[in-house]
Amino acid sequence: MSSPGHNREVIARRRERGLLLLAVPALLLLGAIFAWPVLRLLSMSVEGGTLAHFEKAALDGLYVSVLLDSMKIALMVMGICLVLAYPVALWLSRAGRVGLALGMFALLLPFWTSVLVRTYAWLVLLGRNGVINRTLRDWGWIEAPLPLLHNTAGVLIGMVHVLLPYMVLPIYASLLRIDPDLPRAAEGLGAPAWRSFLRITLPLSLPGVSAGCALVFVLSLGFFITPALLGGGHVVMVSMLIEQQVREFLDWPFAAALSTLLLLATLAIYALIGRLTRGARLATQ
Amino acid sequence: MPFNMNRRGILRAGGGLLAAGLPLPAFAQGATPPKPDRIVVNASGGSMAQFLRIAYFADFEREHGIRVVDTSPVDFGKLRAMVNSGNPEWTVTEIGGQDGDRATEMNLLEPIDTSIVDLSKYPDVGRKSHIFVGSAYSTVLGFRSDVFKDGSHPKGWAEFWDVRRFPGARSLRNHPVDNLEFALLADGVPMDKLYPLDMDRAFRKLDEIRPHIAVWWSTGAQPAQMLVDKEVVLATGWNGRFFELAKKQAPVGSDFTQGSLKSSSWGIPRGTRHAYWGQKFLQTMTNPRLQAIYATELSYAGLHPDTVNYVAEELRPLLPTAPANLEKQFWLNTSWWTENGQKAQERWTRWMLQRG
Repeated sequence: MSSPGHNREVIARRRERGLLLLAVPALLLLGAIFAWPVLRLLSMSVEGGTLAHFEKAALDGLYVSVLLDSMKIALMVMGICLVLAYPVALWLSRAGRVGLALGMFALLLPFWTSVLVRTYAWLVLLGRNGVINRTLRDWGWIEAPLPLLHNTAGVLIGMVHVLLPYMVLPIYASLLRIDPDLPRAAEGLGAPAWRSFLRITLPLSLPGVSAGCALVFVLSLGFFITPALLGGGHVVMVSMLIEQQVREFLDWPFAAALSTLLLLATLAIYALIGRLTRGARLATQ
Repeated sequence: MPFNMNRRGILRAGGGLLAAGLPLPAFAQGATPPKPDRIVVNASGGSMAQFLRIAYFADFEREHGIRVVDTSPVDFGKLRAMVNSGNPEWTVTEIGGQDGDRATEMNLLEPIDTSIVDLSKYPDVGRKSHIFVGSAYSTVLGFRSDVFKDGSHPKGWAEFWDVRRFPGARSLRNHPVDNLEFALLADGVPMDKLYPLDMDRAFRKLDEIRPHIAVWWSTGAQPAQMLVDKEVVLATGWNGRFFELAKKQAPVGSDFTQGSLKSSSWGIPRGTRHAYWGQKFLQTMTNPRLQAIYATELSYAGLHPDTVNYVAEELRPLLPTAPANLEKQFWLNTSWWTENGQKAQERWTRWMLQRG
């Protein structure tokens, strides 16, 4: 009964319970200002005991195709962020004190600027007569201005810029957690750097990758100002349609139905990302 | 939609209960209700708030000794939520674009008390049961004046559609309001025969111009900014934005031909505490001298017929309500849009999603 292992288990469980207790205020707050309003919103979608709003949202090709388009954009943003963020995170995790401070500063600086301001800054940079196109033309590299703005490219650039830190930070955190002896041991046993990265660093950083992907994907789906301004009307996100229903038409039940569909789709993709990264980790082990 | 009917029914029932349960406000019994120390006026914010203060708030504060606190933005959803909660924070609020009729219909507003708010000189478009028309504005055609020199710019929507005579990138609002009207006018429908709008015909005409629209704008600042940056050479936009550029001598002009006139709506949220002083505030807003101050700054002129006379002569041609400009434009039919807005918007979104 009182084996040391058992005792340790009891202590661990007790400590867990204590920690849970500490989380109660936060959970209550979340419940009151997040979960409850969300539930109320969702219940609005079936107000009057009718599924008509869901029927309209699901059977009308318009809303489904906008939802799919939004997911496509969100996945693209996620992919680009991942490709850009991983090397940055890797560099940060190995940088010296000065490098780390500078890197973090550059990474977090945009956080302190409002999304709207940043979006307008992109308008100035990416326009037909914007800074980038004018410079390239002055250098004689291009003749006609590049279509950087008011299309999908503009939306992707703007969204990636806003969301990049959300990808870098979780990956960076998970890279820091890797025991530095592991890659060292691999090297000592003669593994080339790329193999040690592929077999050790990458798999062990997958939790961070997964968290970053999930964060960026979920935030992308809700994006609203950036695609509206940088897309020039050529990119429609489902969040814009929801806003329209809420503010312009006051059709809250229909907005709630659209939100419910969006939430379900988000949860599904979220689960898929988790499963994929878990699968990848198992496969490499 | 059967659901809407239900909701409205519930709203009305709620309003009835409220009215039955509460004692009559003092001013209904003949006495002037006590002065609060402040009232809350909700409007669009930005530079508008600044000029509302110069023109109206300052005068109201001086006359009645009641402070005016301004809030923003204009939000129909919030108005509805406030009225439903039974304790609206706003004493008076501006109501966006086409929402005035809907706010009246949904019983969100106190009736305008014409014994306080003097509308005797107002034209018919300015006399509504629950809405006070603060000013008029118009969606007009803006152009680069260095590209289209000496009056060679397109006038009216048939010419805006004529990409051979007037080449260059264009911008329209990403919204069916105005655009359906402009398309029909471009297709030869006369201004007084626009309503009810023939949506099929309008969208067919929009198909023609679509490849030439570089940007579908979504905020009022965009058309002005894009013309200044030369992102486009022609754009629709609210006349006030072009007025601002004209005052700054930017190479951007505007033309009122076939512009789409709209009125800004103001109302008193039903059940607000100081409704009487809300009426008094609206009365301040009817003053043509004050309206002229506001119009001089923003070009959004009030509907009092004397207002134009108080505005400097060189600015009068830039006002949507100047008699010569009024003739060239049409009033947007808000009741058509209240009824068909959602349908039109759905069709618009669908049309925007078609590739090509």
